[in-house]
Amino acid sequence: MAHPSFEAQLDMYLDGELAAGDARELEAHVAQCPECARFRDARLALRAALQARAPAFPASDTLRERVRAAVRAAAPARASRPFGARILWRALALAASVAIVALGSWRLGQERAAGDTVTDEVLASHVRSLMPGHLTDVVSSEQHTVKPWFNGKLDFSPPVYDFAGSGFPLMGGRLDYLGGRPVAALVYGRRQHLIKRGHAAGLSPAAVEDAGLRVLGRLRFGDGGARRFRAAGATGGPLAFISCHATPRFSVGSCR
Amino acid sequence: MESSELARFEAVVLPHLDAAYTLARYLTRHDHDAEDVVQEACLRALKYFDGFRGAEERSARAWFLAIVRNAAYTWRRRGRGEALATEFDEREHSDAVAGEHPEAELLRSSAKESLGRALDRLPPEFREVIVLRELQGLSYKEISDVAGVPVGTVMSRLSRARMRLQEALQDEEAG
Repeated sequence: MAHPSFEAQLDMYLDGELAAGDARELEAHVAQCPECARFRDARLALRAALQARAPAFPASDTLRERVRAAVRAAAPARASRPFGARILWRALALAASVAIVALGSWRLGQERAAGDTVTDEVLASHVRSLMPGHLTDVVSSEQHTVKPWFNGKLDFSPPVYDFAGSGFPLMGGRLDYLGGRPVAALVYGRRQHLIKRGHAAGLSPAAVEDAGLRVLGRLRFGDGGARRFRAAGATGGPLAFISCHATPRFSVGSCR
Repeated sequence: MESSELARFEAVVLPHLDAAYTLARYLTRHDHDAEDVVQEACLRALKYFDGFRGAEERSARAWFLAIVRNAAYTWRRRGRGEALATEFDEREHSDAVAGEHPEAELLRSSAKESLGRALDRLPPEFREVIVLRELQGLSYKEISDVAGVPVGTVMSRLSRARMRLQEALQDEEAG
């Protein structure tokens, strides 16, 4: 073995693990060292032979199906866990339909076409909120935890509407943006972590009004699915929008 | 498990099923055993998924392949493994830097062997670094994560394995 110190470097170089400066020095050495050049060539020949003759083995379709079935069979066993902040976070991140309408200084009380740019923005922000970890920045059912969380992030103090009487306690909040304006979004939902399909009652106009908001309009994004939207505003107060999820959770956003 | 969490698990793990099967196939050397190992690894990955942090695809591959690798070694320990009975010994199975250890001579087959056979006959700790580096393109750091050994050990195992394989290749070409 000639030049053992160079050989270790050569392996690193051929594996793409050598820093650029060292690589240049090595290349310069190899250019004038026949033994190291032979070593390099032998390594390259080995690599070519391995890649030509040692096959990669793709997973068969049967294996993929077996794995999918096994994982799905095992997955429900994980659902029964103590109700804690982590579960809350996951529950909040459930995939959901979108239902958002924004109101405010833009327009009030009219049904709006889905192509409206404001609603598109609200839709986009809602879709973002569905990504894991994006529904809430602060997780708490306590108003005096959630409301002060917005201090320093907003130049207004968001109203925390109370939907608990209708069965929708506060679950947390997040900072969001709409048309470049910071928005406080509060998330409400049923305090159940097991939601039975078909039995999830959503937010009713009565519940909206009990919380001190007035339903001003409604948008429906039609794609054949059950997508409903509520628009609400507080008379004389900060303007709000409500985005409803297919499961009984919704976000109420307010901005200055 | 919430359906979105299951979807996230599948999105993280399923793209690496081919790499998983390749590694398992080289470690177990039989299709059915490799399939069993991969399935077992997927169930373990599901169990450990909470502990997986990081959405970046490369680290997901190393995380998952480490589980596959361990599942393959568990399978070996259960006695359905190779006929090669010797336990892996870093010293014994490595050649000295200068000159050969006598034991290394004994381990090497006196008959010339083909590249494929030489790869098969490598101890699994050597075979896996070759598979991960040459066939799967993992970095030294990723291989170190998968095999659970320091990067220096990965490099020395690669060096020894390559030397062994190169000899076999040269034997082949010499006819």
